[in-house]
Parts: sequence; C-alpha cells; structure tokens
Amino acid sequence: MIKKILQFSKIIKTGDWFIIILFCALIIISTKFLWNLPQGEYLQIYKNNEILATYSLNQKVTKIINGEKGETKIIIDNGKVRFTSAPCTKKYCIHQGWINKANQIIICIPNKISISIFGGEKNYDSINY
Amino acid sequence: MRLNRPLVYLLISLLIGCNDNQVHHGKDFIFGTLIDIKIYGESKIDAEKVSNEIFTEFHHLHNLLHPWEKSLITDINNAISENKSIPIDNDEVITILSNVQRLETQTQNLFNPSIGKLIRLWGFHSNDYNQKKIPNQKKIQNLVSTNPSMQSIKIENGILKSNNKNVQIDLGGYAKGYALDQAKKILKNNNVKNALINIGGNILALGKYGERDWVVGIQNPRKPNVLATIALKPGWAIGTSGDYQRYIMVNNKRYSHLINPKTGYPENKTQSATVLLPPSEDSGALSDVFSKPLFIIDKKNKANMAKLLNIKYFLIIMEDNSILISESLNKEINWEDDIDKKNITIF
Repeated sequence: MIKKILQFSKIIKTGDWFIIILFCALIIISTKFLWNLPQGEYLQIYKNNEILATYSLNQKVTKIINGEKGETKIIIDNGKVRFTSAPCTKKYCIHQGWINKANQIIICIPNKISISIFGGEKNYDSINY
Repeated sequence: MRLNRPLVYLLISLLIGCNDNQVHHGKDFIFGTLIDIKIYGESKIDAEKVSNEIFTEFHHLHNLLHPWEKSLITDINNAISENKSIPIDNDEVITILSNVQRLETQTQNLFNPSIGKLIRLWGFHSNDYNQKKIPNQKKIQNLVSTNPSMQSIKIENGILKSNNKNVQIDLGGYAKGYALDQAKKILKNNNVKNALINIGGNILALGKYGERDWVVGIQNPRKPNVLATIALKPGWAIGTSGDYQRYIMVNNKRYSHLINPKTGYPENKTQSATVLLPPSEDSGALSDVFSKPLFIIDKKNKANMAKLLNIKYFLIIMEDNSILISESLNKEINWEDDIDKKNITIF
C-alpha cells in the first residue's frame, strides 16, 4: 500500500502538486466564504415582481400564499424558511428545503411565487445604545 | 518527495485555518438588559466556560447592587432612611462606594448616584416603567432641596452612616460599566485575548477580531438603524447615555431617566451622549459614568465638561439633531446615515 503511494508520488511532478494544492486551496477558501454568509433577518415574498409581504424570520409561523395556480404554503421557523406545499408538478421549490442566509432565494416558476431573504449584512460587530 | 512536504504542511495549515476564525457567542438577560459576549479565537468549550463564569459574576453583581430589588444596596438604603448606621462586610461594595464618591466630585455632581428618591418619584424604579403623569412639582423641589450627595456617606471601620437621610443609593449609571471591568478581569485570568462584551449598549473591546479591530455601531436615537460605526481599539470602552431606551411619554413629551440632580427634571435638550475611553483598569465604569454629565450639562458647556474629564472622544446628538463631536472622533468615525454636514460642530 505504502509502496503504491510512493510510486504514485513519483509519477506526479512538482507542477502537478502545484495544481493539486492550488485547487484544494480554492475549495477551502470558497467553502470558507460561502459557509460564513450572514444569517438573514427578514423574508420577502414575491408574486411575479411584486412584493406581497415582508416578515421577520424570528418567528414560528405558517403562511399561505395565493399564486397563479393555487395555494403555496411557506413555513418560517426561527431564522429559516421553506416551501411545504405548492400546486406545481415538479415540486422543485419544496425539494430546495430550508434556506436561512441573506440573499438566498427559492423560486416556484409555475405558481409565480418566490421568496428571498435579506438583512444581516452588518458592517459592525455590536451596537452601542 | 522531501520537496513536497512543505506543500502538504501548507495544505494542512489551510485546513486548520478554517476553524480558528470562529466567534463564540454568549447571551443572557441580567441587570434588566441584554448581555452579549463575543469571544474570538478560542475553542467552543473554553469560550463557553469563560462566558458562563462572566454570567455568574454578573448575577452576583445584580444581586449585590440592584437599586430596587432586595440587595445589599437596598439594605443600606433602608438603614439610611431610618437614620441608622449599618455594618458592611463586603470590601467590593466599600470600594465601589468610595469610587462613586470620587466620581461624583469629579463630574461636579452631575453624576450623582444618591438621587434614588428622585428616580423612584419619576417611576423608573420598576421593570415596566409606564407612569402616565409627571410627578408633582413641589415634591420634586422638596427632594432637590434636601441636597442628596454621596459625600454625606461615611464608612469607618466597616460601618456605614449617612448624615442625610434622603440619600438613596442608585448605581444605575455605574454598575453596568463596572461589570464590564469585572468581565475584562475574568477574560484576562482565563487567558482570553480577543472578546467584545456588550452590557445593554455599554461595550468593552479586548484584543481584536482576527486581523482587524472590533467594530461598533452607534444607534441612531430616533431611527431603527445605526448612525455611524467606529473601530474600537484593543482595550477601549464605549458608553452612551440616551433618552430613547428608558423614558416615559406624557402628553407627547418625552421624559427620560437621565435626571439632572440639580433641577430634579430629566434633561430634554439632548438625545444622546457617547464617549470612548482608552484602556485603563476602570475604563468600563468610566465609559458608563462620563456619558451622564455630558448628556445633562447645557449645550454651551458640554465641550468644557469633556475637557475637564479628559474625554478625547465624544459624540453628542442634540434635540434639534445638531451634532457635537470631538476632533479625534471625527477623524475616525464612519457615518452610516445621511448626515447633514452643516449640522456638525467639531471641538
């Protein structure tokens, strides 16, 4: 086993290592950024391009929205939000599951309903009041 | 193969680097306000242990210093109002009382922690203050004319005696700042180098947030957003006295808890006074105390008061939205809101 690894390391040259490490670093750095997106504070619900409602994410509540084809059910659960039922056929919006970070969006095209999260992009660590 | 080792180490260090950029967050509700502790660069277990130690200390201070729920302070106040002397076997409280005596003199009696009776009369000795009318003018004048002052209190051989029975100690303008200093000691004893402690808006920074300083937002007194942000350098403390947290509205007029001890009425020409203080053993307490005289004193004397107290960084918002700011703070502050630059006076 160790022999095989040694053989493998002989095949790849310094340039190969360079590329391997570069890509590993790229993966790590992008994970770091994407993992630390700020938690959102508010939810906006759109029908076509019109804002239907804005809710705080800090609550536990179920909302029923009337879209083009019928009722869409959305659950807000203390900081996160998801679709639980929709009159579309493919149910992509439900399969997206929970979202909780600022600028995340779920769109249900058949029913023309979309939700997006905003807020939380603060440029300070604490508030003095 | 040997050549490649440094690269592998680099990869490992990158992976480790992922973890240490964490901030641990602790929250609790003490002193009738929200406590928020952020600890940077420690393991989750260590950070939790230290924040719990801080919260325990805060509960202890709450039970020791509370101005109207039973505490050593209310015991002292009861003894004073009955004209009795009272033994105090608590060195911490003796030190605190002598500190506030000194601060009262230093602030020309504008920070006066002995006006508990006035604060009670205005209805602020309650968690859900909602008094619907302002107190009787005669009652206010009577209380002011009794001249309550911390200087009436003498402590000899552990026995406290006041020669003015109208003195009622209320450490509301000191306790939260003092708690910041205590939290700093606990963090240092536990070798925590980077933390940000927020006690109901009074903030103390320890170290940094990674490579950069901790950044603090200053609340806009009249809008639900931040007026400006400022980097809080390692060890610095920031405190604000504002009329927008504890106040009552009577006939559409705002009466805040910041009562001028010389008139007995809330000061109503100022919305907020913010001070930033450099590292020192009691910078937390001073940031809490020193915002009071700057808030209360009249506009034309505010800058002089700052000078007297050696405050290099201050920001004051007046009722007409005009802004008074010190030159040093003006250089470092980042305005968030649309500020009319014509409204700013720099000192």
